[in-house]
Amino acid sequence: MINGNERVCVQGITGKYGKLHTEKMLKYGTKILCGVSKNKNIKNINGIEVLNNMNDAIEKYNVDTSIVFVPAPFAKEAVFEAINAGVKKIIIITEHIPQQDMLDIYKISKDNGVTIIGPNCPGVILPGVSKIGIMPENAFKPGDIAVISRSGTLMYEISNYLSKYSTGIKVGIGLGGDPIIGTSIAEAFDYIIEEDIKKVVVIGEVGGNEEIKGIEYALKKGYNGDIKVFFAGRTAPKGKRMGHAGAIIEGLEGSIEYKEMKLKDLGVNVIRQIPNLA
Amino acid sequence: MKIHEFLGKKFLKEYGIKVPAAYLIKEEKEIEFKFLPAVLKSQVLVGSRMKAGGVLFAHTREEFIVKAQDLLFKEIKGENPYGVLVEEMIPFEKEHYISLVLDREEKDIIILYSQNGGIDIEENKNSIIKTNFENYEKILPEKIQKIIPNLRKLFREKDLTLLEINPLVEGINGEIYALDSVMHLDDNAIFRQEWAKEFVEEKYPFHFVKLDGDIGIIGCGAGIVMATMDAVKLEGGEPADFLDLGGGAEKNTTIEALNLLKQYGINRIILNIFGGITKCDEIAQGLVEFIGENPEMQLYVRLTGTNEEEAKKILKESNIGYYDDMYSMISDAVRMVRIND
Repeated sequence: MINGNERVCVQGITGKYGKLHTEKMLKYGTKILCGVSKNKNIKNINGIEVLNNMNDAIEKYNVDTSIVFVPAPFAKEAVFEAINAGVKKIIIITEHIPQQDMLDIYKISKDNGVTIIGPNCPGVILPGVSKIGIMPENAFKPGDIAVISRSGTLMYEISNYLSKYSTGIKVGIGLGGDPIIGTSIAEAFDYIIEEDIKKVVVIGEVGGNEEIKGIEYALKKGYNGDIKVFFAGRTAPKGKRMGHAGAIIEGLEGSIEYKEMKLKDLGVNVIRQIPNLA
Repeated sequence: MKIHEFLGKKFLKEYGIKVPAAYLIKEEKEIEFKFLPAVLKSQVLVGSRMKAGGVLFAHTREEFIVKAQDLLFKEIKGENPYGVLVEEMIPFEKEHYISLVLDREEKDIIILYSQNGGIDIEENKNSIIKTNFENYEKILPEKIQKIIPNLRKLFREKDLTLLEINPLVEGINGEIYALDSVMHLDDNAIFRQEWAKEFVEEKYPFHFVKLDGDIGIIGCGAGIVMATMDAVKLEGGEPADFLDLGGGAEKNTTIEALNLLKQYGINRIILNIFGGITKCDEIAQGLVEFIGENPEMQLYVRLTGTNEEEAKKILKESNIGYYDDMYSMISDAVRMVRIND
């Protein structure tokens, strides 16, 4: 996932959000070395050089990670450019990327051994060390809990609770709420296990089966830390899309009742109120 | 976004799949028959249309006119039709079911097939087999296999998330025909699908779903709005809506959202904001302006995150109370509803 030593390039650095969050990430201590933009008129943002393409970013700054703010119609092209240039971690903040573009991104990233986080996600934060993302940092006090989330704002809300009333956050991983995402909950657990983090909060939502698959996988791999799970969308009506492209119930599978039942079979309890997570 | 059948059929034809000869009637003055017998199909985007009386058959001219008029003005499951699709009747021997779906777990397009197609497919779900583009040739009947590459091309090029043909029939001439189709277009891809723009409904600058309860809910971010709804329900209240302002909402968006709930007769509203990209002071300004014009509305407000201090100052100056914790806000709001009832 991230270790704080990433050499980061911001793709889409000259846009409104790219610019704003470059500044915030720099202040937080993230090693932002350069940006890339197709806007040829801007050469510098907050003292960070703006280059024309990812090949230059690698050649000149030896970057290994990129964070993508490029608008949805051009996002696939931008991610392909980063992969072809040799970047190994890509965090896609952009929302509204067409699902078939994500299929293509997913395939090419797997073929090239590239980690994709997102899209439509808040990114990844190591509180007190580094953040490659857009989260409000004061909601993340350093501590020992890993938060894995499919929802951005809910990750802020819950991390804030855990920061105030619990032992704080070791890492916050925002996977994104879209139907097709790069890194799954299972893959996030690989990192948790590798880093030997003993407390995890999984923030899931109505729709899909990611949470169960991910937790099942972790347990099979012998993870014996404390897993707490919270779901959003218990009251979402069937067949209605609730904002997130992914949050829709299309049958029994994907409903929170179903997921709760499955997790109970695995011996994992679902916490229904956020304060009870702390 | 769901796509009307007449458009879906047009695409199927473009991609080399046989469909019945057809034309669309959109207004009364366009009612004319070109062939008999004919199938008349209401162009509504609802499921089980046939069972709801949206598909009729005409064997004579008189029957045709009466039925076309009927369908043109008839609501099917609460939806007014876009028009009536008139199709040639295709005699057939066997009904199949096929669909291509974008599968979130496989992270791929998958194929679902059943040799028992038709209107009762819902009851025949166990007969549906699942395969992918590497393996379908081993599994599907030869005649069905032949159309798969074309369907895949259509699925990809039109940015679909679902392409379903039911029934897919074997006509008495041995040819395969698509008699009905359901297609869903990926909303995120509308920007590159020119044909779809005509069908995009006028939208609010936020994401809104009306529900049946009496406590209005506004937040920013789908996850936090859903969690707020859930908490209201767990406290014994009933959410009146799902309203996600989205990231970066400003003063006017806030006012528009509050006014929309007021229009629906909702007078108690929970506003739960965790500002990331969204600036709390922008939301607070909208709130002050709305309350100034609608003092009878009861608002329960929690603002935290970006520009929280400025927001609280704005609220204090206008004597608007606020909460720091979402759960105390929700529990107060639900309790007040009960007391007032």
